[in-house]
Amino acid sequence: MKIAFFIATAVDPSWFDMNRMPILIISAISVLVVLYTTFCKRSREHFKLREIAGLKAIEEAIGRATEMARPLLFTPGWGGDIQRPTTIASMNILSHVAQKTSQYDCRLVYPTHDPVIMTVAQEVIREAYAQAGYPDRYRNDDIFYVSSSQFGYAAAVDGLISRLKPASVFLLGTFEAESLILAETANINGSIQIAGTDSTIQLSFFIVACDYVLIGEELFAASGYLSGDHSILASVRAQDILKALIILIIIIATLWATVDPSSTWWRF
Amino acid sequence: MTRRIAQIVCFAFGALLFALYFSQLPAVRSLNTTIMIDYWQIIFAITLLVGVISFVKISVTNIRRGDSRPYRIISLIGLTVMPVFAIFWGIKGDSPFMWMFEYVQAPMQSTVFALLAFFVASASFRGFRARSAPAAVLLAAAILTLLSRSSLEGIVPQIVTDAADWVRGNPSMAARRAILIGIGLGSLTTSLRVILGIERTWLGREK
Amino acid sequence: MKHLESRHWIFGGLFLFVIISMALNVNFDMRVSPETKKMFTFIDSLPAGTTVIVSFDHEASSLPEIRPLALVVLRHAFSRDLKLIGTALLAEGTAIGYRLMNQTAAEYSKIYGNDYVYLGFKPQYIAAILSMGESIPETYPKDYLGHSYQNLEMLSTVKNYDDVATVISIADGSMTTHWIEYGASRYNVTVTAAVTAAMMTTYDPYLASGQLHTMFGGLRGAAEYEKLIGIGGSGKRGMLAQSVAHVYIILLIIAGNIIYFRTRRKRRGVS
Repeated sequence: MKIAFFIATAVDPSWFDMNRMPILIISAISVLVVLYTTFCKRSREHFKLREIAGLKAIEEAIGRATEMARPLLFTPGWGGDIQRPTTIASMNILSHVAQKTSQYDCRLVYPTHDPVIMTVAQEVIREAYAQAGYPDRYRNDDIFYVSSSQFGYAAAVDGLISRLKPASVFLLGTFEAESLILAETANINGSIQIAGTDSTIQLSFFIVACDYVLIGEELFAASGYLSGDHSILASVRAQDILKALIILIIIIATLWATVDPSSTWWRF
Repeated sequence: MTRRIAQIVCFAFGALLFALYFSQLPAVRSLNTTIMIDYWQIIFAITLLVGVISFVKISVTNIRRGDSRPYRIISLIGLTVMPVFAIFWGIKGDSPFMWMFEYVQAPMQSTVFALLAFFVASASFRGFRARSAPAAVLLAAAILTLLSRSSLEGIVPQIVTDAADWVRGNPSMAARRAILIGIGLGSLTTSLRVILGIERTWLGREK
Repeated sequence: MKHLESRHWIFGGLFLFVIISMALNVNFDMRVSPETKKMFTFIDSLPAGTTVIVSFDHEASSLPEIRPLALVVLRHAFSRDLKLIGTALLAEGTAIGYRLMNQTAAEYSKIYGNDYVYLGFKPQYIAAILSMGESIPETYPKDYLGHSYQNLEMLSTVKNYDDVATVISIADGSMTTHWIEYGASRYNVTVTAAVTAAMMTTYDPYLASGQLHTMFGGLRGAAEYEKLIGIGGSGKRGMLAQSVAHVYIILLIIAGNIIYFRTRRKRRGVS
């Protein structure tokens, strides 16, 4: 295999772009780490996630909505589509929330800006309700597409919050400028808000306006935390291992660049 | 069976596009372009159709039920009127479609965006309290940044602008980079899980 | 009348101050920031006849902030006799971008097809950026007005990013990130940006690492650029309102803290 690779590259160098070799190496390391943590039995032992305040509050938020007999609103934001990992992470949390709302017979409203996200969310929620044993409580009309336009979506969700007066609002996904509009409207309405996004700008707004915020990769860890799903916990562990490797490279590169300022091996 | 096929397609295209990234062969680049332009755009067009059908269905149901009736009627009128304008009078220059866009849609969107200014004011009043030392530092940084981005050159000394630039370029940048790296790693592992078939939430139920 | 809450007073005060300040006409002499200066110097350094892509990656909602930014960039580029290719990665930016290009081109007597071309909108922005790196004619077989790519004189030597000096992304969101991730990292095209103030800190890490060549933004950035090119515009006109709003928010923060500490002291006194 290796010989064939080198022969092919020697015959036609454009078959493989050598400038992208560092990316291939890093990708290979990442894949190996993810596979190791997912399938190796020893890596699964003694693995525990630290407490995340925003996730502990999910039960409280659902309970509040049930007690007040008001709906719960969950929206994934305007900034992303289904291929975005943040949206997939929010779907995992949605599945958990949907299971709980089905058990408590609490109405779950899910407006979105993307028809594909809407379709996937319908499937996720329907399956969650079925798994919880309450398929008859599923309401297809509560998961709907509103608008692909950013502020059309923001206005629609604001209108929903103002009219439905949800007790709890989940803002989990990729948000852009509409984040503060949604968060403040929910705050004015008196809803408890749990937010999480991958945008560093919008995180600032959420931290000021929301009750609980999942910062950065806490959003990705959330679904594993809630469900205990081994594959998700394994990828959280993989992230920690990769982070440790990055820290090691930064330290080594910083020391090396300090000692030898003309070095460039760490640039690519 | 449907889920299995979807997983295989996901893995095949994920692996293929990953492999294509590393090659500069003309045939490979052409294949990359075909997948990117043609396949992706067809999927996009179909998803738009799904969205429109869903929107009309929900709106009609809500109108029958009397739930948010005026808003739903206005939405359906807008949904119908714009394509009619576009089909019969085109979308260029002084067409009715462009008039609606420039004098109805754009101002409405700007109005909703302008709400941000008011909400920033109320969020600042509520959120920037010196409850603790870190909160006081955050408050000071916010005030420095607000002053540096205004045009009070004669009143605000240069040191304020320099301090704000230092905050933006050092502690703020460090925190932002750390969060970006974390998010990048989270995205990487989630994407790998989807491509390798470990993550199957998006597939829905087994039918 | 319904009982007014504190937020109603806050909203009313902001509205009043901004309306009054917009009615006044006050000229500010402001310092030009290094970022704006760098962007200006970069465009100024491009030789006449250089081809540049200007991508209108924004929605209609941010037009009040985007228009001054777009106008200064277009005016500077046209005054330097650069050849401009206009595109849009978001549907709403398409018509706005075309109108702004036409409007600015007319000020400098530029001819469509010879001095500037507008290719229009391509859905699926990641696909559009990647495919332009392979072949711009294949991505846009026709321009926004329906002319065949091959028939446009200006585009005869432009096949992909290798034939353009830079991509200027005029954005109100994260589209510039996609230009950096897919355009710059994969095809080594130089990416520069004119963004709204809220997005500037998002791109600071990319600017510091050199992935984003240069960037300026916000109403203040537009006002500084207007000063550099010597043409007045809405950037400068909006600065008084922006400054007043900033001072108002600072006063609100101070007032909020005074209330907080007084309430805390009272509670401690009671307990």
